[in-house]
Amino acid sequence: VPIHRLPLERLPYLLLLPSLTLVCLIELYPFLTGVSYSLHKGTLLNTGAFVALDNYVRLFNSPDFYNSLSFSFFFALFNVVFSYLIGLGLALFLNLDFPGRGLCRVLLLIPWIVPAVVSIVSWKWLIADRGGLVNIMLAAFGVGPIYFLSQSGWAMVAVVVIKIWRSFPFMMLSLLAQLQVIDRTLYEAGKLDGANHWQLFWHITLPHLKNISIVQAILMVIWSINDFETPFLLTQGGPSNATENLILLSYRYTFGRNDIGRGSAVAILTLILLMVLATLMLRQQRRIA
Amino acid sequence: MMKLDLKWTLLLLALAIVFIIDFPILTVILNSFRTTDNILSSRNILPDQPTLTNYFYINTRTHFWTFLQNSGIVALASTALGTVLAALAGFALSRFRVRILGIYNQALLIVQMFPLILAIIPLFIFFRRLDMVNNFVPVILVYTVTQLPFATWMLRSYFDSVPKELDEAARVDGCSRLRGFIQIVLPLSAPGIAAVAIFSFLFSYNEFFISSVFLRDENRMTMPVGIQSFMQQYSTDWGSLMASATLGMVPTLILFLLIQKYMIAGATAGAVKG
Repeated sequence: VPIHRLPLERLPYLLLLPSLTLVCLIELYPFLTGVSYSLHKGTLLNTGAFVALDNYVRLFNSPDFYNSLSFSFFFALFNVVFSYLIGLGLALFLNLDFPGRGLCRVLLLIPWIVPAVVSIVSWKWLIADRGGLVNIMLAAFGVGPIYFLSQSGWAMVAVVVIKIWRSFPFMMLSLLAQLQVIDRTLYEAGKLDGANHWQLFWHITLPHLKNISIVQAILMVIWSINDFETPFLLTQGGPSNATENLILLSYRYTFGRNDIGRGSAVAILTLILLMVLATLMLRQQRRIA
Repeated sequence: MMKLDLKWTLLLLALAIVFIIDFPILTVILNSFRTTDNILSSRNILPDQPTLTNYFYINTRTHFWTFLQNSGIVALASTALGTVLAALAGFALSRFRVRILGIYNQALLIVQMFPLILAIIPLFIFFRRLDMVNNFVPVILVYTVTQLPFATWMLRSYFDSVPKELDEAARVDGCSRLRGFIQIVLPLSAPGIAAVAIFSFLFSYNEFFISSVFLRDENRMTMPVGIQSFMQQYSTDWGSLMASATLGMVPTLILFLLIQKYMIAGATAGAVKG
């Protein structure tokens, strides 16, 4: 028998208290402090003088900012589109009935679950200038070598391709989960009405995937824009900042140039950008649904 | 007969796709058994003269086992903390209808999209003042919060599937509800909790960014940070790099095989509750 009888109404607050405390310490406090840093001209050792919106004004006048903004968009757009197409294709394929498909599903998730650093070690060798497998194969056709990580265009392609390779399994998995709960009888009814495969796909499969597709696309845009590991481990943002996204830019300002004002301003703008994108996409979802 | 043929054709096609997709990971494992010279000169994909040289090198000349141990400590601690916090909050979300719960659920959405760099800058300054750089505590706390949205939503859906009547005891004070949760709901959700815990562990074990900011001393580095430091130090010693990458992903692959059947539920948890 409990000595202190806890009133029932207080229980949910009590259950929430530990999580809420930690969220406040690890995200709310840094957010508020970050806003304040972005209005000061400070270093890692000293918050510095209040400069109002000066850091933001300087960002809006700096080519670095537009460069990383456009790379973030490029990276997110290509990653979402190709992860979706590959994920959808493989989900439809794995939804067919053949022996060993469960095992194949598990094996196709591997790029998604191995640590980023392991993937990058592997890809760095595959696309290495000297002795890398891709260049050895190209040489066999008399092409190359291609300096994947030292030419801006190729470095951008490499970072995006590796990101797609790391992302599509998640898309595939969630689309497959949705495919497996579509009512089979819908297809039988469709066939009785004389619909062909393409019509069944267009009028039954796709509408059932619409909601999950939008939600997963939103998540993937957020994760792409927030990605630090893929570009940092592969190129550290180079060559000449070609693969520097907003997160890497904020990191470079903060820890490279010891300028926490501008580093925080980039981070705040990234959060605003993400919230705007997520809101727009959610509104789109409600409109369609 | 035709039908059978089609099935085996599909399987062959599937295996070809799996081979192409997993090829980069396969090369890491295969190359870890070859010397760097052999990797650079041989035209074979399979090791023609398999050797354990790289593994001996990793074992004797690097801090690899320290990295692995540090990763274990950080991942275990954040998994334990995260799972307990998420279970408490998930139970509240599952069984009570109070305004603050709705607000908290919205806050979790923002936590999920929060750019970590924004948290890291002030936290780095904050913990440095406390002389806690190269300390596991900040890393564990950040990992815990990062896992909360996913873990809370997933546990909530497991608790939702346990009938309410089972834990709504006759006496309706808070203590008996809490006891109902611990004695009835938790045991019934054990497989789900295990899956969430392993997911959390995988995330923490694999994570690079936060660790790399806070853990800079070689004796404190986690496995991903350690391998990245190898990448910088021995950028051309592919053999040792591949061996460390292979060893580094062994725990990931084992845990993944344990929870792969929960993966589908996990992949949709964010979508359903978000």
